[in-house]
Amino acid sequence: MTGAAPTALPLRRARSRTLRRLLANPVVALAAGFLLLITLAAILVPLFSPFDPYETTLRLRLRPPGGDWLLGTDTQGRDLLTRLLYGTRTTLLLGLSGVAVGAALGGSIGILAAFYRRLDGPLMRLIDVFLSFPSILFGLSLAAVLGPGLNSLILAIGLSVMPGIARIARGAAASVMAQEYMDGGRVIGLPDRILMTRYLLANCAAPILVYVTLAFGDAVLLAASLGFLGLGLQPPTAELGSIAAEGRSFLFFAPHVSTAASALIFCIVLSFNLLGDAFRDAADKRFG
Amino acid sequence: MIGRLLHRLMTSFLVLVGVLWIGFMMLQVLPADPAAVIAGPTGTEAEIEAIRRHLGLDQPLAFQFWLYLQRVAVGDLGRSVINNASVAAELLRAAVPTLELMLASMAWAVPSGLLLGAFAATRRGGLMDRAVMALSVAGVSVPVFWVGLLMIQFAAATRFFPIQGRGGPLWTAEGLSHIILPATALGLILIGPTARMTRTALADTLSADYVRTARAKGASELRVVADHAMRTAWLPIVTLLGLQVGTLMGGAVVTETIFSWPGVGRLAVGAIVSSDYPLAQGAILFLATAFIVVNIVVDLLYGVLDPRVRRSA
Repeated sequence: MTGAAPTALPLRRARSRTLRRLLANPVVALAAGFLLLITLAAILVPLFSPFDPYETTLRLRLRPPGGDWLLGTDTQGRDLLTRLLYGTRTTLLLGLSGVAVGAALGGSIGILAAFYRRLDGPLMRLIDVFLSFPSILFGLSLAAVLGPGLNSLILAIGLSVMPGIARIARGAAASVMAQEYMDGGRVIGLPDRILMTRYLLANCAAPILVYVTLAFGDAVLLAASLGFLGLGLQPPTAELGSIAAEGRSFLFFAPHVSTAASALIFCIVLSFNLLGDAFRDAADKRFG
Repeated sequence: MIGRLLHRLMTSFLVLVGVLWIGFMMLQVLPADPAAVIAGPTGTEAEIEAIRRHLGLDQPLAFQFWLYLQRVAVGDLGRSVINNASVAAELLRAAVPTLELMLASMAWAVPSGLLLGAFAATRRGGLMDRAVMALSVAGVSVPVFWVGLLMIQFAAATRFFPIQGRGGPLWTAEGLSHIILPATALGLILIGPTARMTRTALADTLSADYVRTARAKGASELRVVADHAMRTAWLPIVTLLGLQVGTLMGGAVVTETIFSWPGVGRLAVGAIVSSDYPLAQGAILFLATAFIVVNIVVDLLYGVLDPRVRRSA
């Protein structure tokens, strides 16, 4: 709290004002509302859905939407809506873990680069390369080395969001490095470890978090694309990308399976991107 | 310029070594002992040992990596464990369709993106501007496979276009009709970012003094935008296009899979799913190297477009 204490109160007030202004934008409110709703539904689905997400009834497969099943049934006769919500749960968790890995990696790299000037050049050059590297290639390579599955997926997402976060973190940390309280901390003899966490990280957490929202959409899209290619979690785990792929063979007489799954992915990613854009615009105004 | 390029080449070289290391590691996870596979079921212990020594499998990992580099340098990427075909030959066969697909989608998507972006920039805040921005957010949010699936449904209903595979070289009618759907699907993900970047870059230059001068001396609006403002706006746009090659490549992997397009991406996915490590290694190596090369070319283009970069030593 040492450095931030005097500014904490006005900052909080400014933050709630920014938030209110953001939500006054109908697009942002709609996106935030949708994400809130779908997240809640995905968490609470075992409580309200009368259907089992894994029990297959081949007799009832590929029923069209309407009737007993709101969105119809899938290729194995399971309620599609239930499957989709369980799938959303998996996909969101994948995105969350991947982004967390990426934020940890990228945040550390950015802060190290800003703190130790000597590391700045080499680290950032590495990041530049990662930045434009096709994220699907991370997924392909990791699936090839570690085998398709949870670990390779999360690592692939992490690696794909890491460079963006590292750049933001470095930028934010570099401006904090110029603050007087950094010199103050150094003068009273604090070790580098404390300076980097309590001083640097604490003061550039906000811009990093803003960027994390921005990265979420990409993370979900990557998870779904890898799932669609069959390089994600293996069946019978419900995951939005693999549900879309399952319905692909029945596209012509039961298009609802692929369409519903793909449309849901689109809405989730779009909402994250809209929110992220709005956050970034607001942050640009605040952080200059 | 020379220094910048050397710097760039050095970085690219290091990345290439990293990529090769990953490719090498992919071959290390092979479940079967390659020497035992080559010796066959009747091979004796001594024969296996001899083959192992011949392949260098008894050497330390670092030395094996060196041997691997030597093999890759002469174009020997091993053989597929599924059909024993040469990986290098398979890749060469798949490279042309992938290149075709990427070029065909850029051929329509980049000009459209530029035009849309230019329209949006000259009518800031207007209906067109907002439509373009909405389109670009939607474009980066839509899963490529959904676009592909929708197109397949459309094509199946109307029977306008073939939905599977490649019909032959691009200059034949068959080849052209087969590429339309996949190229449209892949190009759609490129329009958004291109339009957005063009809009931002042009909006910056349109308010510059020299643009006002051009207007003041009576140049037509088309000339002001296309000639004066666009010339400086090219730089960020080209940079972005270079970065987008990565996205395009990722999209190509998915698009090829959906449309059964016989390219490198489909080859890579198929190889990984069927645990064909040598082929997977080769395909990933190929895609990564292609990506690195394109980025160097973009850097060179940068020098052509910006005299400041060219002259600075």
